[in-house]
Amino acid sequence: MQQPAITRRRLVIAGAAAPALLAAQQSTKRRPKIAAIATTYHKYAHAQHICDRFLIGYGWNGAHHKPEMDLVSLWVDQVKENDLSRSRAREFPVMKIYPTIADALTLGGSKLAVDGVLLIGEHGDYPDNEKRQKLYPRYEFFREIVKVFEASGRGAPLFNDKHLSWKWEWARDMYDTSRRIGFPVMAGSSLPVTWRTPSIDMPYGAPVREALCVFGGWIDGGDIHAFETLQCMTERRKGGESGVRSVRAYRGDNFWKALDEGAWSRELMEAAMCRSHQLKPSRPGFNHVFPTLDAMKRMANDPYAYVVEHTDGLRSSIVALPGVVGDFCFAARIDGRKQPLSTQMYLPMPPKYASLANFFSPQVNNVEKMFLTGKPSYPVERTLLTTGLTAAGVESLYQRDKPMATPHLENVSYTAPKESTFWRT
Amino acid sequence: MPKRVAIVATIYEYLSHGQHIGDRLIEGYPWEGRWRKPDLEVVSLYVDQKPKGDLSAARAREFGFPVYPTIAGALRRGGDRLAVDAVLIIGEHGDYPTNDIGQKLYPRYELFKQCVEVFDKDGRAVPVYNDKHLSYSFEKAKWMVDQSRRLGFPMLAGSSIPVTWRLPDVDVPYGAEVQEALTVGFGGYDHTDFHALEGMQCMIERRKGGESGVRRVELLEGDAVWRAADAGAWSNDLLVAALSRSDTLAGLSREDARPQDLVGSGQLRKIARNPSAWLIERNDGLKTTLLMLRGVVTDFTFAARLKGRAGILSTQFFTPPEPNVTYSACLAHRVAEMFETGKAPYPVERTLLVSGIMESGLRSRGRAVDTPHLSVRYRGPATSQHARG
Repeated sequence: MQQPAITRRRLVIAGAAAPALLAAQQSTKRRPKIAAIATTYHKYAHAQHICDRFLIGYGWNGAHHKPEMDLVSLWVDQVKENDLSRSRAREFPVMKIYPTIADALTLGGSKLAVDGVLLIGEHGDYPDNEKRQKLYPRYEFFREIVKVFEASGRGAPLFNDKHLSWKWEWARDMYDTSRRIGFPVMAGSSLPVTWRTPSIDMPYGAPVREALCVFGGWIDGGDIHAFETLQCMTERRKGGESGVRSVRAYRGDNFWKALDEGAWSRELMEAAMCRSHQLKPSRPGFNHVFPTLDAMKRMANDPYAYVVEHTDGLRSSIVALPGVVGDFCFAARIDGRKQPLSTQMYLPMPPKYASLANFFSPQVNNVEKMFLTGKPSYPVERTLLTTGLTAAGVESLYQRDKPMATPHLENVSYTAPKESTFWRT
Repeated sequence: MPKRVAIVATIYEYLSHGQHIGDRLIEGYPWEGRWRKPDLEVVSLYVDQKPKGDLSAARAREFGFPVYPTIAGALRRGGDRLAVDAVLIIGEHGDYPTNDIGQKLYPRYELFKQCVEVFDKDGRAVPVYNDKHLSYSFEKAKWMVDQSRRLGFPMLAGSSIPVTWRLPDVDVPYGAEVQEALTVGFGGYDHTDFHALEGMQCMIERRKGGESGVRRVELLEGDAVWRAADAGAWSNDLLVAALSRSDTLAGLSREDARPQDLVGSGQLRKIARNPSAWLIERNDGLKTTLLMLRGVVTDFTFAARLKGRAGILSTQFFTPPEPNVTYSACLAHRVAEMFETGKAPYPVERTLLVSGIMESGLRSRGRAVDTPHLSVRYRGPATSQHARG
């Protein structure tokens, strides 16, 4: 992989310097205008969950909350039989559908005419590559958006759903471009901000020795969620995020061998599994028993893990146990603490467990705050790093568990905000 | 020495309460981030019915305890004296008749009574957990609680809803002045309404002065519910707050996954199917309401207005899905805790009162009834008992 030019200085947290446009916008006190750029808009698509919350509002702090802004424009790449964007536009006339990304941002004019942009490149029919990465055109959409920013001489806060891109170089370019032009960016998964059972955070500044996330597996698309689950906790450790030296995948027989040899801690893996609400029963007639190692081997359908070596020595891993665990569970070993710290990042997932994917509510709420203030609630460097980790993990998997040195991730170091940003109220 | 436990259950089949609570005492359960094996040994089992799918014999074989044909046999383990240290009574699920007011006549009182007879005869009593309400009859329920007082054995009862996870993790501040409380539930009579009422009770019993008892109960059905709403029988903003905590709104949310303000949009009354409202007035004047919104939600949510607190306190009692139903791990832990220590973590009066509210409500459909017999006064523990660690 060609390495982008990167400086050794510590990256600045996104939005630390609010662009001038935002100050101007706040002084006029008008409702901000938001544009959404989406791959597709159908039931259960991320665009539906996110845009609907801007259009309709959602349950928040014990009330039906309506965002103090208007989603005024929408561009959708793929419109098929199951499309909802057209009926939503009819139902909510404040939102108009535009034929191009540029038109959505300029509202059909020649200059940027919105105060915030949602880039939702998840779901839709896009090809997979040989590494099983889904080639969502997030970078391509981002470039179109930036063209308007540049032509207008100003940018606007941008939220990018999930990882920045399947390709590291493109993700890095997205990050660098936002810094160069000077617009705030938030990105990533809803896992870091959803409910936790129990409702705990990593103590700020904790000396974390090892951490992991156990989940149900899903190469690329689910890996980013697991890495974000892990990263939102470990970034709070002593010294902050230091960057990453290497990533290695373990799959199939290698997975069980690595577990046996302690490539990640079995104790932490089991602590995380004790937080699951979706642990597959290993014996018929029992609804909830802790599986033996033999039972895990029997039940697990193509397990894999990515083990990450951080430059400060932290080891963190995502451990995919399809057929054993169905939810995202976290555990960490902290020096000076007897028991592992563990929790579950809970997703009320429709249609089986809920009708509403309400884990999008805290994500939308944080994005709203950025649109209003110009300040991201959490650093985009988290997602820059998890994007790189996902790509490196998938690459290692593709190269049959070859260890991947990650010099390009060595200086993706950042400091997380002290205040917890997950859903607690 | 682990404490020896007898299980007395109506049935023991997959996903019956007997199975998932009983199994947790045998196999352990997740608690505070580890798999906890309680310091207990299940030594005997009695089942009232053995339907197709019965697992009692398989469990007995696998874990080396006998299934006894009588309750006394299970408690004395075939000998002539009480030979266990605790009894788990699970009178839920199984084939039992329903009475004229829609109560399923689970023989909880009868199962319990047979345990008490052994305690009386053998001159020793041990802790008892009774799953769900004590009995369909308040009189019988009261007798059950009286026996635990008379013989001095710790007793715990009720639903898993008070002890499960909450989204968000909040409790009514101990000693708070609760001005009004409302719970939203779903499902049928004498079933999920019990869980919803226990959810509300575990919150409001923490109020200033503790629980004062119930003086009046009224159960409204159908259009009478909306007439009461229009007349201000409960606060609209509490209903909005409770529904804002739900993950399971029906109607358009089921159709296209959109969030909804069901109250504001007017959709609530269109999608509710045969709703009911339990109006429960407490001796200290507190007004509490349970709305059973069938066709609207499939989760339990709560909202209350507290004096001196801006905004409404609201939460969802989280019921994790089958098959794990990890809420039952939260309950099993409280039961294990009592069996291990001999101390009930929260008062059985909570369940006594709720059992009485249930019976009075179901008897009084459509008209308010005074309930002087429900002057059950008690205080809940100051320490929160729901899952949070």
